[in-house]
Amino acid sequence: MAVLQTNKLEKHFDGVYAIDGLSIEVPKAAITSIIGPNGSGKTTLINVLSGMLDIDGGSIVLDGIRLSRFKSHEIPMYGLTRTFQEVRLFNQMTVLDNILVVLTERNVFSALFERHSNLHFMRTEELLKKINLWEKRNELAGNLSYGQRKLIEIARALAMEAQIYLLDEPFAGLFPEMLKVVVDIVKELKTRGKTVVLIEHNMDLIRELSDYVFVMDSGKLLADGKPNEVLNKREVIEAYLGE
Amino acid sequence: MDLIMQFIINSLIAGATYTLVTLGFNLVYGATKFVNMFHGVLAAVGGYTVFFFTQTIGIDLWVSIIVGIIGAGLVGFLADRFIFSTLRIKKASNLVMFIASLGAFIVLQAVLAMVFTSQFQSIVHSVDSPRVYEIGSAAITHIQLLIIITALFSSFGLVLLLRFTMFGKAVKAISDDEEVAKIIGIDTNKIIGYVFFIGSAIAGIAGILIGFDTGIQPTMGLAILLEGATASIIGGIGNLYGGIAGSFLLGFVENFGIWKIPSEWKGAITFSVLIIFLIFRPQGIFKK
Ligand SMILES: Nc1ncnc2c1ncn2[C@@H]1O[C@H](COP(=O)(O)OP(=O)(O)OP(=O)(O)O)[C@@H](O)[C@H]1O
Ligand SMILES: [Mg+2]
Repeated sequence: MAVLQTNKLEKHFDGVYAIDGLSIEVPKAAITSIIGPNGSGKTTLINVLSGMLDIDGGSIVLDGIRLSRFKSHEIPMYGLTRTFQEVRLFNQMTVLDNILVVLTERNVFSALFERHSNLHFMRTEELLKKINLWEKRNELAGNLSYGQRKLIEIARALAMEAQIYLLDEPFAGLFPEMLKVVVDIVKELKTRGKTVVLIEHNMDLIRELSDYVFVMDSGKLLADGKPNEVLNKREVIEAYLGE
Repeated sequence: MDLIMQFIINSLIAGATYTLVTLGFNLVYGATKFVNMFHGVLAAVGGYTVFFFTQTIGIDLWVSIIVGIIGAGLVGFLADRFIFSTLRIKKASNLVMFIASLGAFIVLQAVLAMVFTSQFQSIVHSVDSPRVYEIGSAAITHIQLLIIITALFSSFGLVLLLRFTMFGKAVKAISDDEEVAKIIGIDTNKIIGYVFFIGSAIAGIAGILIGFDTGIQPTMGLAILLEGATASIIGGIGNLYGGIAGSFLLGFVENFGIWKIPSEWKGAITFSVLIIFLIFRPQGIFKK
């Protein structure tokens, strides 16, 4: 069953059809990869799905609810969260606060007076230990290395306790031991019944992790299916080599 | 020696006044990244609200003061709801926001002038002469003392609010990256609305105190804003602590600057300091 579905989705940037009539169905409790050459619209798809960009046409169906216009601060209520290709943390806040701020009360009035409960601290500790950065908790997020920042962003997504995780190139630029941490996290999400949508360029990782693959090219769906079927298709190989 | 003491006192009063302006100015700037000119007129709104309720309607002074503070906060909040938040949603540039805030400032200032005339007025009845405390041969009125105390409490209160509440963390997150703040579920528009309310209420407090100290005039907002904005830039715009430091630095430079030269030159000193900072340290004292 699909938890996330797009119907003839459109997103244009003056003349550029970044998403062009895209219809996909993301299966529940599985890892789905979205691949495609640079500029094929993968990040734009995530931007649209997370409410950061308005849709120019078509619709999104989330857990059976059709959405045509929604605000990005509402997406956590739909059980959806995302990470960014270019790593975006709150750089002026400590590593600890970057996670704690997620675990807060969403109601503004309560937030005005709420201090952090012990539970929130324990959860933050658990998450930071999982990515081996508990020792760095009091440093400003902006001062850490690229890889460390990438891990914190993943931990922040985990803190959201979402049902659907949209991860935009979560492995890019990571050294092997950090890469393994993220791979394990993604696998664990699946075993916990969560839905993961990955954007990835590394074919070995796609084969290892994904249950299903969508191939995008120029905003359109080029192919989809099980990783081994899709990755051997001639048009897919050509799309990648043809750039 | 006593002259120096008086200069120090005057510097502290000026620094405290500017602090009351920069607190809200920087709070709003931090969350929205635009230079909010409208902030200045909120001081006038605070002053005139108290004037209206005490003099025209004849309500108790303390009640009027509370109404004045909340009134200024509300006007700032509404300006955000109807003007700035609408522009924000349309992704207007900071320049557009700046111009819009200047426009709103001028409109509201004109409204105040129409309702209350553009004359200089006093909030307190002229018969109440201010109580004066003497320190050696230097003097400070109880209103001026109140300005210093209020600035201290407001600064302290705001810092505590931002540091130790989740609201503060949300504001920090928005200042850092508004889009990501949304992604983690913060209703940024709502929080920014509260930021406007808090910042504007503090501007109202400034206006009320200035009103008690010297008097009110519809155009009072511009001078207050320029001093406050200068102090903010000196301290590092958007940085609360920087704004406080900048305010007192500016207060001291201005007051000691006019020691040997005529006090009409005060404005020239202010803007010389501003220009020196813009050239040599545009990021201000505190910006990393
Ligand atoms: N905010 C934007 N404004 C204008 N054009 C944009 C914007 N975002 C994306 N585009 C354009 O849309 C197209 C798709 O870009 P997108 O970033 O979605 O590609 P991608 O598949 O994520 O590529 P990559 O693999 O390089 O990350 C590109 O032509 C890009 O230039
Ligand atoms: Mg991309």
